[in-house]
Amino acid sequence: MITGLFDSVVFLFTFLPVVLFLYYLMPGGLKNGLLLLASLLFYAWGEPAGVFLMAGMILFNYAWGIHMAGILKNRRRARSGLIICVIVNLGILGFFLYGRTVIGAWNTVFPVQIPFQGYALPMGMSFYTLQMLSYVIDVYRGEGKVQKNPADLALYVSMFPKMPGGPVVRYSEMEKQLKARQMSLGKIGEGAMFFIRGLFKKVIFADNMGLLHAEVMGMEAGQVSVLCAWLGCGAFALMIYYNLSGYTDMAIGLGKMTGFEFPGNFDYPFLAGSTTEFWYKWHMSLGAWFREYVYHPLGGGDVEESKQIRNILLIWLLTGLFHGLSAGYVIWGLYCGLLMVAEKLFLWRMLDRLPGVLGHIYSIIMVMIGWVFFFHSEPSQAFAYLGRMFGAGAYALADDRGMYLLVTNLALLIVMAAGLHPFVHKAYESVMDRGGRGKALVNGMIYGVMFILCVAYIVT
Amino acid sequence: MRQKKQKRQKRQKDNRSLRLYRRKTAAFVFFLLLVLISLLELIPVERDFSEKENRSLQTRPKLTLEAAADGTYMEQYEAFRSDQFLGRNLWGSLKNRMDLLIGKRESNGVFKGKDQYLLEEIASADQEKTESDLAAIEEFHARYEKIPVYLALVPNAANVLADKLPRFAVTEDQTEIFSSISRKIGEGITWVDLSRPLGAHSKEEIYYRTDSHWTTLGAYYASQQLVETMGLDTEKTPKWEKYVVTNIFTGDLSLKSGYQSGYQESIYIYTAQKEKEMPGIVVDYGDDKTSTLYDRSKLKERDAYELFMGGSHGMVDIRTTADTTDRLLLVKDSYANCLIPFLVPYYREIIVVDPEYYEGNLDGIMEEKKISSVLFLYNGNTFVQDDKLNGVLQSGKAEQISE
Repeated sequence: MITGLFDSVVFLFTFLPVVLFLYYLMPGGLKNGLLLLASLLFYAWGEPAGVFLMAGMILFNYAWGIHMAGILKNRRRARSGLIICVIVNLGILGFFLYGRTVIGAWNTVFPVQIPFQGYALPMGMSFYTLQMLSYVIDVYRGEGKVQKNPADLALYVSMFPKMPGGPVVRYSEMEKQLKARQMSLGKIGEGAMFFIRGLFKKVIFADNMGLLHAEVMGMEAGQVSVLCAWLGCGAFALMIYYNLSGYTDMAIGLGKMTGFEFPGNFDYPFLAGSTTEFWYKWHMSLGAWFREYVYHPLGGGDVEESKQIRNILLIWLLTGLFHGLSAGYVIWGLYCGLLMVAEKLFLWRMLDRLPGVLGHIYSIIMVMIGWVFFFHSEPSQAFAYLGRMFGAGAYALADDRGMYLLVTNLALLIVMAAGLHPFVHKAYESVMDRGGRGKALVNGMIYGVMFILCVAYIVT
Repeated sequence: MRQKKQKRQKRQKDNRSLRLYRRKTAAFVFFLLLVLISLLELIPVERDFSEKENRSLQTRPKLTLEAAADGTYMEQYEAFRSDQFLGRNLWGSLKNRMDLLIGKRESNGVFKGKDQYLLEEIASADQEKTESDLAAIEEFHARYEKIPVYLALVPNAANVLADKLPRFAVTEDQTEIFSSISRKIGEGITWVDLSRPLGAHSKEEIYYRTDSHWTTLGAYYASQQLVETMGLDTEKTPKWEKYVVTNIFTGDLSLKSGYQSGYQESIYIYTAQKEKEMPGIVVDYGDDKTSTLYDRSKLKERDAYELFMGGSHGMVDIRTTADTTDRLLLVKDSYANCLIPFLVPYYREIIVVDPEYYEGNLDGIMEEKKISSVLFLYNGNTFVQDDKLNGVLQSGKAEQISE
């Protein structure tokens, strides 16, 4: 879950206008340099110490990339070079991702204490590590050219629009854009609309759902009705979707404003007919990364069935562990993996025979069940919560507290549910396209009002 | 066929150019807002305190290397920028409206109820704290065995007027909190049940719609109960007559929540119909003496409820010409301010102590003033949240020894 950064007064009303003003003013050759400087400043603002770690890792991968490019002909040496590089990158990421948990567990179990607590994971580190890995692997595979200019590589890794929430862009996709990209007022306007939509999703939708979720989580276990349990879980599902997809939209928007094109990250996952399809449409750039660099090298779908199943489970275990080291994440990963295997083996055929609506309902409910392990990292609590969702140990089916939460969020929930379907956006676009110039003004006002509403929520 | 194709192509071209026009307009709107707000933000206005939120605001932090290195400077600077955002209250009321549209019926601990009632959330009682307060009252009583001690708690609007709460809203059970307190108080202390008389008149205007206090009418009904329970001389009870002192009162809940900022209501005060039924009074605020329990200058100020007793003071000494030797020590919060006039006819002297603003303890007053009865009168929320009462109840002698 991502908080802060783009939805802050300092970013919106100091950083962004200054950076964009200078960026548009700058001659072409200096634009990348300015963007890099801005990105490092942006990162240092959120992670003053972490910026040095990131810079160090960029330099390491830059140097290693050049070293590997020189030994590419010798496949054995290149291979061992790549392995060392991957181990170093993952080792550093692992230290920050798991260090705290491991040291904490060590100190409670063993009598010899480690006098060190470990560090919290610096912002964006998982994503930028994956992006650097994609760079060295692409160089090793010969799919991307080695980057001689450290500043361009640094910009690819640290670019502020995609720092907080992705998308995880492959180096080969960015290579050309770093050299030359198109800018136009139309594209800037498209970017502005993307950005405002994303901000609205994060500030109005996700944050309000966060409040609702927190409200349910704050209830005493004995007072949670079935209705409350579903509201809490549903709020979490909507929050995480609108948070991540909002950040992606903001990244795409900021990208377009500076001439970059980032891939989309969410393709209306709630319309999926199975969980396999759901995850295919969810955080697509991360999924693509795992498919490209883990699943396919393991043989992907072209190997015998038992190996395919092993691969699916492995990918999902990694995806779970990617979020951190806890029993909840491991269970979540395995749960998603097992469901996908079951769908592959027999569920899919069964779902195919049912009306489509049931497939949607099935996949949404299954995904929601998974989220419970995400927000309750303690498995016993997660199972108790799941029990309450299905009536076991719940205080009642519905109570006033649940009804109150439902009624006071109803309008928002309806709007958010409508937003899960592409229909609303498509209809809006086609109405706007058909109208005359007056419609353009109406459109501008709508986005202006959305932006002003976001500001109202940000400052108070 | 061909014509159709041409037509379609033309339409697509039109659409494209319109879409471009729309995008350009959007870019214009976005940058206009961005630049406009950014420039307005450069105006240096700094406030230290937000009355609306009742908290200090972050002021410009000092940049030091240390604070920048561990990120505290950035956090403070972010807080500074949003706390000092231009027109912050205006933005706040915009958010409030949007929240209402979403369906929210609660803001900053205040419910937006039916019939334009704003109702403060009911505070939950911390068992340990409440028990220690009650024990302190009992110890206090033990030091002055012969003097009767009364405890009266005023229920909140959300309890008495629960039917005015938004649909389905659930609050803490104040009835249960009160009955638990009444069960726990020590033997010599008399519990005055104010929930009953207020509940019986719940259809009348006993609470303000926009303020956290009860109305003078509510206090009047409570005073009848006090007269009965404390066995006061009903012959002294004058015939009360009410008159309105303002019609444009907007209370603190409106400010706190942002709801109904334009709603205006009336404040009444009650006086004796015949002047001679009411004893003469001298009110000593410590630094100032007057002959009235009201401060009309406060009607022009933001919190017009301060009309009663001129707001809260640490200690106020009210001397009357009533034909009695009874002297009351009233330990209270602001709820009592509009009830005091109803107690005046029965006492020669009333010492009013508000522990929130009073430094010292009650032992000195007890001995010096020959107090004949003690009344603790609090609103339910204030009583369970108060953290000063315990201090003033501690024995003054013990303190002297330890010093």
